[in-house]
Amino acid sequence: MRLTLKIWRQAGPNVAGRLVVYAADHVSPDMSFLEMLDVVNEGLIKKGEDAIAFDSDCREGICGMCGLVVNGIPHGPDRGTTVCQLHMRRFKDGDTITIEPWRAKAFPVVKDLVVDRSAFDRIIAAGGYVSVNCGGAPDGNAIPISKDVSELAMDSAACIGCGACVAACKNASAHLFMSAKISHLALLPQGQVERARRVVQMVTQADAEGFGSCSNEGECEAVCPKEIPISNIARMTREYLRAVVRI
Amino acid sequence: MPSRPRSLDSSIGTKLLVGFTGFLLFLYLILHIGGNVMVFLGPDTFNGYSDLLLSNPLIIPIEIGLVMIFLVHIYKTVAMTLDNRRARPVKYARKKSAGAPSRKSVASSTMIVSGLWLLLFIVIHVRTFKFGPEYETASGVRDLYRLEMENFSDPITVVFYLISMLVVGSHLWHGASSALQSLGIDSQTWTPRILLSGKVAAVLIAGGFIVITVWAFSQGART
Ligand code: HEM
Ligand code: FES
Repeated sequence: MRLTLKIWRQAGPNVAGRLVVYAADHVSPDMSFLEMLDVVNEGLIKKGEDAIAFDSDCREGICGMCGLVVNGIPHGPDRGTTVCQLHMRRFKDGDTITIEPWRAKAFPVVKDLVVDRSAFDRIIAAGGYVSVNCGGAPDGNAIPISKDVSELAMDSAACIGCGACVAACKNASAHLFMSAKISHLALLPQGQVERARRVVQMVTQADAEGFGSCSNEGECEAVCPKEIPISNIARMTREYLRAVVRI
Repeated sequence: MPSRPRSLDSSIGTKLLVGFTGFLLFLYLILHIGGNVMVFLGPDTFNGYSDLLLSNPLIIPIEIGLVMIFLVHIYKTVAMTLDNRRARPVKYARKKSAGAPSRKSVASSTMIVSGLWLLLFIVIHVRTFKFGPEYETASGVRDLYRLEMENFSDPITVVFYLISMLVVGSHLWHGASSALQSLGIDSQTWTPRILLSGKVAAVLIAGGFIVITVWAFSQGART
């Protein structure tokens, strides 16, 4: 396959960037999207040019490290997958593909397609933890929780923190990410101790980081590689109300 | 830990306020169309109903409440829209909706435009009707029927109203169900029903006012 790539190049955090056009002439449909970029980078390095910087780690959709906006959709056109799980057979010979980084004030570009997502770490540090010492793995049956609820908590816990929700949202809101973490802990007995404090502190932190608010469009849910639904955001609102009434 | 009043400034507090005020405005519109369809029952019933409303001593506090709800809705939505724009200073060169299950629509992407149009519309609408000419009927009540028929005999007014009703329909197409999600109301059973009812209500409200406008215009054309 021969493809035309329009890739965002930006030398560093506070310099202007622009879309640069590259020709990718030896693309196999069996390559993953990131392997395709690896091959483009080998070509650039051979020519003595600066390789395109992008994040990845596991390359099997579990770590949350990768993240590119492919033709206007975070993680590309497939539902419920990360961009490392996207394959070139999804494209046609002769296609032009635009590749951009996550765009949000709270996710500043470090270089090219790499953004700084430490704002998510600070949101977690503000409340996304359980401070009781749980000891060794307890007997599952000893924890007082029904199967339905534990599965709901597990669904929320599936969030890999990639930030695609922020990238997709027209408001660059972190509500889906936060609500997944808050739901995960609020639904479990272990999360009860900090339940009220957690939601208030995490929301306060996200607002301070410069993420936007939620307009209930649900683009976040549509791009989430773990298909986390926006019903979590409604739960976060209820948790917030409950917390504000109690403190 | 933020204090309670500050909680309403947070992104979730903002959602709660916008959702709450938006939902009350939506309920008001349902009452408003309910009253307005009485125009089909003739001048006596229509004027009698409006007199019943206006002579109620509670009408002043209710009107003040309505104005306050409006002001909060406008202030919060405008401030929130500006904040949300600041959250993405560099735009995408190419951006596309990811499709279902996203609820994104033309309506949801233009809430601030439809909202600001409605603000303009409401100012003109209130000036035309509430603060318009005070005709009196033979029985001494305000003749709003005559005022309505007069206004809607003018094609420019009719076109402005028809556009504005499409705009309110668009605002509510996304807004009616969105308001409940903003308030944290959601369940597997109810959310699909709420989403559908919101759209049906938007069409009924906008459609209802459009029918009234067109009907009033056709009445004028006949006489
Ligand atoms: C008849 C008058 C109006 C009605 C019935 C109405 C109703 C609503 C409803 C039900 C919502 C959804 C609330 C939510 O998602 O939580 C909403 C949202 C909104 N309204 Fe209004 N509204 C009216 C007038 C206005 C005006 C005058 C403005 C002017 C600025 C405005 C701007 C907005 C905006 C920007 C949103 C979207 C908020 C978001 O992104 O989530 N509205 N409105
Ligand atoms: S690289 Fe780990 S999820 Fe894509």
